[in-house]
Amino acid sequence: MIDFEEELKKYEPAIEVEQAEADIKARDLTDLTDLLFNMTAQNNGTK
Amino acid sequence: MQCFMCGAEVGNEKVCYNCGADILLYKQIIYTSYVFYNQGLEKARVRDLSGAIESLKSSLQYYKYNTRARNLLGLCYYQIGEIVLALNEWVISKNLQEDNPDADRYLAEIENAPGFLSKINSTIKKYNQAVEYCKSGSKDLAIIQLKKVISQNPNFVKAHQLLALLYIEESKYADARKLLNQATKIDGNNTTTIRYIHEVKSRLKEQNTGRRKKKTDTVSFLDGNDTVVMSEKSFRSMLDNSGASLMNILLGLVLGLLICFFLVVPTVRDNAKDSNSKTVLALNEALAESKSKSDSLQSEIDSLKEDLSAYDDKQDVATSYDNLFAAENSYNAGDSETASQYIQLVTKEVLGEQGQQAYDTLYAALSPAIIQGYYDDGNNFYSEENYESAITNFKTVVDIDENYNNGAALFLLGDCYRLTDQTDLALECFEKVVELYPSNKWGKQAKVYIAADDTTLDAKEVGE
Repeated sequence: MIDFEEELKKYEPAIEVEQAEADIKARDLTDLTDLLFNMTAQNNGTK
Repeated sequence: MQCFMCGAEVGNEKVCYNCGADILLYKQIIYTSYVFYNQGLEKARVRDLSGAIESLKSSLQYYKYNTRARNLLGLCYYQIGEIVLALNEWVISKNLQEDNPDADRYLAEIENAPGFLSKINSTIKKYNQAVEYCKSGSKDLAIIQLKKVISQNPNFVKAHQLLALLYIEESKYADARKLLNQATKIDGNNTTTIRYIHEVKSRLKEQNTGRRKKKTDTVSFLDGNDTVVMSEKSFRSMLDNSGASLMNILLGLVLGLLICFFLVVPTVRDNAKDSNSKTVLALNEALAESKSKSDSLQSEIDSLKEDLSAYDDKQDVATSYDNLFAAENSYNAGDSETASQYIQLVTKEVLGEQGQQAYDTLYAALSPAIIQGYYDDGNNFYSEENYESAITNFKTVVDIDENYNNGAALFLLGDCYRLTDQTDLALECFEKVVELYPSNKWGKQAKVYIAADDTTLDAKEVGE
């Protein structure tokens, strides 16, 4: 049985066209290769 | 292959000999990224867009430079109506890899579609407003807005889902099911959509079992556009009363026919008569009008005929001059008879001043021959007892010269009048002959006619 109020909380306002630039800037593009790079760099630094 | 840390060439080595970086792990990460990309591609091909989006996001979390995965993610967003998210992915893709023809093409298509972005933005705003309405409890307003959103952006899955949720809340399960089916066609494996479909199915099932129970003691039928639901008892009593109702209907019909016969029919007849008399009057008026038109047209014809005759006279100018010249030439050649024939064909009135002078001169020269001709012709007609033509010729002679041939022409004109019973004109001529030549044979004979009013004398006796 669906709880309407609970279900409604899952719906968030969509991003408008004017907010697109801000959304791109706020995006965290860090990936696993970045983490590997940082970890390797740290290891090399400690050595 | 180059080391991701120092950029040294590492070939197939597992560890960079230069900096000690774990090349194998790096390769595994990239490999995993492409595995997720392949998964996403497979899911997108079978329209499992939600699954594809999840896989592609994972792929990019492993390796953000996987631009094919990012471009495909944008396409998936575009397909579920999330245009701004799609744009974001393509823009990022373009930034991370400049030489990116797919992203270029997608962005160019959106830029080149006039008014597309503004339309999409307005649908997003409406959707956001609908979300606000839902949260503030204005479900009706939210439904209206969401309907507009779906009509403008039919692929917007979230709008379908939210509207379906509202319909479920309003117990409009059939509408909700229809919307969810549409959403399934766009994104076939969306977990939210599937969950709602299950909910709708279970609620419809409950509703149907409840209806079956109710159906046992109710009767429903259509009355026009309305569905009438009645208890079985009242339905039976209604059928029992139907006999009396039938009688009432028949009585009503009979009354209606009588009213029609006594009230409506006479009025219709009167109206028909009135309209007939009006038609006759109108026809009379039309006839009078046509008569007056016909008169005016006749007068117009007459005036046109006059104009035409004047025109014919004008046409005579050239002929008159021709005849005048011919007469002149014949006269100069010594042929007076031909000349006199030609000059009689000339209409003096149409000639110019000099023409008229020439005409008068020639006419004066030819007049003896002309008069002689008329006189001879008159005599011939007189002998043939063609008095009408004889009168014309003698009258011409007398008009030119009253005394011609010692009053013979005048006497013969009078005699022609006498023989055609124009006594007054005859006496006038005889009196003039007596006055001019009282002692010659014409004068004496004229006296006889005047004195005795003798009309019995044979014409041949006096003719030459």
